[in-house]
Amino acid sequence: MRAYFRNIYAAVSTILIGMRITFKEMFHPSVTNQYPYQYYFEKRKNVRGIHKGFRGQLYIRMEDCIGCKKCAMICPVDCIYIETSRLEKGITLSDTRAVVRLKDQTVWIGELLEGDEKIEPGTVVKLRDLDGNLHESPSEHVEHVVTSKKRRLKLDRFDIDMSLCMFCGLCTEVCSTSCLYMTQTHEFSTYDRASLLFHFADPSIYEGLTPDETETKAEDGADASEGRKQKAARRRQREETA
Amino acid sequence: MELLSSLIFMLVIAAALLGFVMLLALILVLAERKVSAYMQDRVGPRRVGPFGSLQTIADAIKLLLKEDIISLQADRKLFILAPYLVFVSSFAVFAAIPFGRNLIASDINIGILYIMAISSVVVLGIIMAGWASNSKWALLGAMRSAAQMVSYEIPLALSILSVIMLVGSLRMQDIVGAQSGGLFSAQNRWILLDNPFTFLAFFIYFISALSEVNRTPFDLPEAESELVAGFHTEYSGMRFALFFLAEYANMFAVSAIAVTLFLGGWSGILPGYTFLNGVPGFVIKVSVLVFVIMWLRWTLPRLRVDQLMSVCWKYLIPIAFFNLIGVGVWILIFD
Amino acid sequence: MADLRTEEMELNMGPQHPSTHGVLRIVLKLDGEIVLDAEPHIGYLHRCFEKHAENLTYPEIIPFTDRLDYIAAMNNNLGFCVTVEKLMQLEIPERAEYLRVLVAELNRIASHLLAFGTYGMDMGAFTPFLYAFREREHILDFFEAICGARLTYNYVRIGGVARDVTDESLKLVEKFLEDFEPHVHEYNDLLSYNRIFLKRTVGVGILSPEAAISYGVTGPNLRASGVHWDLRKDEPYSVYDRFEFDVPKANTEIGEIGDCWNRYMIRMYEMIESVRILRQVLNQIPDGPTMAKMRAAIRPPKGEVYMRTETPRGELGFYILSDGKNKPVRVKGRSPCFTAMSAFREISRGLMIADITAVIGSLDIVLGEIDR
Repeated sequence: MRAYFRNIYAAVSTILIGMRITFKEMFHPSVTNQYPYQYYFEKRKNVRGIHKGFRGQLYIRMEDCIGCKKCAMICPVDCIYIETSRLEKGITLSDTRAVVRLKDQTVWIGELLEGDEKIEPGTVVKLRDLDGNLHESPSEHVEHVVTSKKRRLKLDRFDIDMSLCMFCGLCTEVCSTSCLYMTQTHEFSTYDRASLLFHFADPSIYEGLTPDETETKAEDGADASEGRKQKAARRRQREETA
Repeated sequence: MELLSSLIFMLVIAAALLGFVMLLALILVLAERKVSAYMQDRVGPRRVGPFGSLQTIADAIKLLLKEDIISLQADRKLFILAPYLVFVSSFAVFAAIPFGRNLIASDINIGILYIMAISSVVVLGIIMAGWASNSKWALLGAMRSAAQMVSYEIPLALSILSVIMLVGSLRMQDIVGAQSGGLFSAQNRWILLDNPFTFLAFFIYFISALSEVNRTPFDLPEAESELVAGFHTEYSGMRFALFFLAEYANMFAVSAIAVTLFLGGWSGILPGYTFLNGVPGFVIKVSVLVFVIMWLRWTLPRLRVDQLMSVCWKYLIPIAFFNLIGVGVWILIFD
Repeated sequence: MADLRTEEMELNMGPQHPSTHGVLRIVLKLDGEIVLDAEPHIGYLHRCFEKHAENLTYPEIIPFTDRLDYIAAMNNNLGFCVTVEKLMQLEIPERAEYLRVLVAELNRIASHLLAFGTYGMDMGAFTPFLYAFREREHILDFFEAICGARLTYNYVRIGGVARDVTDESLKLVEKFLEDFEPHVHEYNDLLSYNRIFLKRTVGVGILSPEAAISYGVTGPNLRASGVHWDLRKDEPYSVYDRFEFDVPKANTEIGEIGDCWNRYMIRMYEMIESVRILRQVLNQIPDGPTMAKMRAAIRPPKGEVYMRTETPRGELGFYILSDGKNKPVRVKGRSPCFTAMSAFREISRGLMIADITAVIGSLDIVLGEIDR
């Protein structure tokens, strides 16, 4: 008998406690973000944006790509298609630019004044970026440094199929020159699946290159064969010890 | 001639009432969406019209334009008849609700009995809908709903009986008249505060009414998570809209009856023309009750069907009987 | 009356249903409202994870593990990486270990919040769902700040973690923890101790401890059945042995051992324990490198390894068979929800249809993990 009334009392009291919570919540401000209007407003006024390291759509600075194909090899779904070709004899491309990435995902691109790929604790990394500004940062805040490299290959085809891409970001991490990066674009739907195959290769960046003088050509040739001999010797050594 | 003119008069009033009910359903759907949104830390409809006021009209137009799907194996005639039956019986209740001193569509002398009888026809409509859909889910929902509604009519009737015993008449305007003294007078008080037993009767009525309208925590027939959509799974377009509108009209009707029976109807707090008087007062009181119904929906989980039945038969009905006897004894002793 | 024939009704809670958590098909044999047999059919979300893993190198498999149990992706990454590191006998820097625990516990809170919200919605209470997602937004914002993605992170790598975390991001976590604990008590008031909710879940779907162990059920489901077993305390991996936390026990005052309420309540208690662990992590996190020094190409030695970790759903195990190359020969994932689903048939005999929803919600299954 007592359990009967205790039941009724428990029911009514817990219901009233629950009702009080929902009533209180009525007066709290809403957490709705009025997408897309509020989102575009915030973007325009720079009030609150997407975080810096966001993994959105891929983009590549073609002038810095050396055609190492590391991104194509590591992609889990094989959505990057690369075809390279050797340059004509004597033509050289510009070196790639250096990149410094900090731990809060800020990226500086330009000419590395002080610092190396091996980050020594206690030093300062200095870089002058493409607009001429000087940036520096203590090495504790630096995540990685990529020095400039020589470009030896011409990219005939660099296609990324974004309809296959799973946005894992592995390709951006293994890029030797840090030229492949993920932007903050995440709204790029199209009406046609074929238009999600992005063609990044740009033949126009190889136009207008002239061959070097013959002396430098000979020196280049000598260095190149020397380099090949050393590489073969190293491979033979590795195979013997393995 | 007399007959014709009175017939036309009745038709005009019926049309006005229908218009009112449609408008009501419109406002109530929007109110529910806004209230639920604010309770859940979001904003409700905002774009269609100022503060989303035209949202229901947009939804109604969308539903009108939808394809009318009737499955081949469904019982066609019953399938088409069911929503109309549900809507008409929910709507017919409004004929006997007193909105003001002279604002009642039809002041029959068995007002409250008529209301209880007509609102039972909704069960027929629901069973028809479940059966005619020829779908196991719909059938289950309809069976549950029928059991639920039929069972909860008993405590409903018992709590109404206590009011009728106090007033002595079934006529709606008489019941309101018996509360014309307002909140504080010694005689002719609002029936809610007349008697500790009628206070309890109000809550019994409220809970049974929640169940009659199929609202949480008793909304098992239309439980979205379990039976997809219960007895109106197979309905689309305007037929579904009719079920939907009928539910909101029913909600208002049930609150209006609660206000008439227990909270003084259109009489104010003090006798004469004062605060909470007349049609505005009536509407305010009904809105408060409707808000409480919505509040309960967004707070509480659902009861299972056998728990629903046990609440009715083991808790509400004994308490309602005891209540009835209490009211009778009180009247005997004190009046 | 003697030849009144009653048949059992066969009902299909099909792959598309509002309350089964994913694409799960349950064929119910009903006698009126009572369930005589509930047979789950899975496989609608099978994506050949284990076959894919045979053709991918080890770093490439990690994004695929994200998509196993997509709600607690960090824990899946962690499970796989810990397995490979055990095979390679690799030492992880301290900061990386602490960061791993940080993200794993945060993801545990996020996953339990989702379980709480969807369970409330299954029971008919619609508001806890929105409150849970409001809390989850803060956690997902933090994850977006550190690794750039909100659901499939690819953050825990073999040898450490992918990116470092700045102090401002850690302050985000601290702020979240401050606001979060009073909210848990609010949710308990709103849903957990509500009489109607108690009536729906107490005593329903009882899984006895012997049955739980024999089916191989793990995680909160096992702890609710009275078996006191948590891999973080009993077989600690990573740096879990440095933190002080309790493993929740089933509450027998209000619920019964092994019923739906206890399975649900253990998750609420675990959220509070995770908050405790997180506070200790934030106090103790050292500076240092976030990735171990190792060769670029990951080639574990020949051999096989099985390692299990505690995800929000139970014990996730990975078995890797390697022959020295950079791609594994065989990867097998042992999924905790799969065993919970196998116990479902026995739990649900004799219940009503409305209880089936309660049981599935309390087991907290994710079809991505069951089907892989």
